[in-house]
Amino acid sequence: MRAKSILTEARQIETAVELIHLGARLQVLESETDLSYERLLRLYKEVAGKSPSKGQLPFSTDWFMTWQPNIHASLFLNIHEYLNKVAELEEIDTVIKAYKLYLEQVSAQGLEPQLSVTRAWRLVKFIDNGMLTMTACSKCGGHFVTHPHEIARHYVCGLCNPPARAGKGRNAGAIRVSDKIEAGLVPH
Amino acid sequence: MNADQILAEIREANLSYLMLSQTLIRADRDQALFRLGVSEETANLIGALTPAQMMKIAAGNTLLCRMRSDDDVVWGLLTSHGKSSANDSVSRLHASILMAGRHQEAA
Repeated sequence: MRAKSILTEARQIETAVELIHLGARLQVLESETDLSYERLLRLYKEVAGKSPSKGQLPFSTDWFMTWQPNIHASLFLNIHEYLNKVAELEEIDTVIKAYKLYLEQVSAQGLEPQLSVTRAWRLVKFIDNGMLTMTACSKCGGHFVTHPHEIARHYVCGLCNPPARAGKGRNAGAIRVSDKIEAGLVPH
Repeated sequence: MNADQILAEIREANLSYLMLSQTLIRADRDQALFRLGVSEETANLIGALTPAQMMKIAAGNTLLCRMRSDDDVVWGLLTSHGKSSANDSVSRLHASILMAGRHQEAA
């Protein structure tokens, strides 16, 4: 049996606190640390000042395929892969650092982050178990989140070829490409 | 701008760049690797520079930093002037994705 190290535990609590600050769901903490459910619950209340939200995690890969989430997910994953390549980090630390860089990047451009840390973590898991992958766009060469077995030669990303009504609808504060402005019908 | 001015400006830019790099590396080395686009070995060397070394390295007639992207696709996206503001943010996101995908530069 593995003796419990206090140092390891301290490090895990630190990781957990960081994740809670970023808004992670309790399930993420449970999966990434060896701390008991009760302790995590207490930690969560202490750090966040409220009970964690209940219910299942979003488990579908479909969300990552819709236009705007796909752009955000691709940005995060590119940063994640970058850190993965150049820095030697624990898996969860790579997610945390990449997510922070993603938040910075998005807010520097005056956009609302669409990707939550829970979704970002989930995305990395989906990539690890092959449910999602990255494919290079045949036009711009950028790497984007796609289903596995996408035909690489014909793949064109959502930014090179945005859907006609891309970004319209309920998501306020997001990137909105107005086709009227594009067509020059409305002054801007 | 005469030659002396040019040399002074280059030294100034080099020195600011080195100092900022060192600050970033000391604050969070892993994130700095992404921000600077350098390898771990280079980051270690820059992180360990003394002020005197920095002054010495900064002096010269060439810049120590170079444009992050040699790619006209990225520059095209970054400089898409005159387009609508909605389109502009899409272009910048697009450029960010392309630039974040370049890890071979740090290898």
